[in-house]
Amino acid sequence: MFEGATRRARRGMLREWRLHALSVFSLMVAFVCLGAALLVVTNLRAIEDRWAHAGRASIYLKDSATQEDVESLKSALSKLPFVTQVRYVSAGQARLEFGSQEVNKKSELAALPPEAFPASIEIEVVSTVTDDELADTVTKLQKIPSVEDVETYQAWTDRLSRLVKGGVAASALLALVVFASVLAVVGSTIRLALQRRKTEVEVLKLVGATDRFVKGPFLIEGSAQGAMGATGAVALLGALFLIVRGRLDAELAQLIGIEPTFLPWHMVLALVATGALLGMSAAFMGLRKLVTV
Amino acid sequence: MSQMDDDENMSKPFRPLLRAGTRYSRDAADRPILMFEDVYKSYRPGVPVLRGTNLIIERGEFVFITGPSGSGKSTLLRLLYRADMVDQGRILFLGRDIARLRDDSVPFLRRNIGVVFQDFKLVTSWSVFENVAITLEVLGLPSRLIRSRVGEALERVGLTGRGGDPAGVLSGGEQQRVAVARAIVGEPALVLADEPTGNLDPQLALDILGLFEEINEAGTTVLFATHDRSLLDIRARRLIVLDEGKAMDVPTGIALHDDDDDDDDELPSGLPL
Repeated sequence: MFEGATRRARRGMLREWRLHALSVFSLMVAFVCLGAALLVVTNLRAIEDRWAHAGRASIYLKDSATQEDVESLKSALSKLPFVTQVRYVSAGQARLEFGSQEVNKKSELAALPPEAFPASIEIEVVSTVTDDELADTVTKLQKIPSVEDVETYQAWTDRLSRLVKGGVAASALLALVVFASVLAVVGSTIRLALQRRKTEVEVLKLVGATDRFVKGPFLIEGSAQGAMGATGAVALLGALFLIVRGRLDAELAQLIGIEPTFLPWHMVLALVATGALLGMSAAFMGLRKLVTV
Repeated sequence: MSQMDDDENMSKPFRPLLRAGTRYSRDAADRPILMFEDVYKSYRPGVPVLRGTNLIIERGEFVFITGPSGSGKSTLLRLLYRADMVDQGRILFLGRDIARLRDDSVPFLRRNIGVVFQDFKLVTSWSVFENVAITLEVLGLPSRLIRSRVGEALERVGLTGRGGDPAGVLSGGEQQRVAVARAIVGEPALVLADEPTGNLDPQLALDILGLFEEINEAGTTVLFATHDRSLLDIRARRLIVLDEGKAMDVPTGIALHDDDDDDDDELPSGLPL
């Protein structure tokens, strides 16, 4: 029976390909919006994760800090179980590193003297370190007289985390809009197809077809429309992603600290499956008023 | 039929007891294929189409149903395949009350009834084969069996080798033959023809009538609704006249009209046609 329903669905879609193509295109646009939002959220999550587990901290030293202070501090930090690397950056080195990163070498910042850059000790910690352990260490470090300030980049991570949460909320809202549009578009298309194939439905019912037999092809058509819309959207997003990444790869990676990634395969599958399921649900609702003979 | 029998009928889905040809049960063969018991039907309040119609049709009969426009010929047929419901009374098909069938049993009822319409009701974008095969696809038969039975049906209606043609390009007579093939391919116990010759010229109408007679000779009961007097005159068959909502049997051989005028005096009740 499923084979027959699939055959009739394919025949129906081919015969009214313009109607179905328009529907698939509309769904594609809706799914592109959703997919783009998910793509942004996915990459923001990756950045947040990268930054949260970056395991870096900068301990800025006072100008009065002596070489002995630096050595004793380096020694103490090396002994901490979660610290993996300790590196002293003098004011001169800091100036040089800033200069190498500054794109516009003629800017006012590039013209700053070496004294403007404080010396620091850069440490790297294991990614498994807890926030409490790090906070405790920061408190202790801030009490050392030769230490000016300690930067753990937590504030940036918190900001990014808030941004991700906002992105997730926006995506959820967008998903609702997309779901509603899928229901509306597929439902209308199926109702129109049903109207156009009124004689076919009448004939089917006259020869003793059950409602399930009559509805089967329409449900398959709705499901196919949803799945094709979502697949088309993923393909389009993938192409756009490749174009953008090909042009901005180096700059983006340096700016955000990660290489942008496309939607994971399970999310792509979920999008297509959601499209198919929504399409079928919309068709089911559109068929409530089946032709009665 | 007792109340207990009725309740039992309500709880069971419709299953055929009698089929044309060899597939029938002795139990069903013993009773009339169709009984109308005091059937009332109206579409508008106070304007009844059928009022107290009583009718018995035996298995294997060929029955003409005639009457003026609006007399209820189509309504009577629509009640049979449950496109409409009776307001009052009972219609027993193979002993089961059609009006009391559950909605999910209606498709099974229709698999035992072939219907042919004046406007053919074909899916013009489908091929001839597809239009006929759909009856068997609904039954879930394997495709090989469908091919052979559709081939046989097309042969019976004189359309051998035309299976691949789009139904929409056929002539009116050919389209009606396809509709007949669709109605008989499932070997129904009963074939209903609702003015099947209404859109055809006299010669084609005779050809189509001949087809229905052949179907009847094979054991299928045929109800042929028409107001075409020429067909009624040519074939001496059981004739039921519908008038003022009632069905009346007109004995075979009684002329319905003179050749010269429309004088209906010879009708037992003077029924106008």
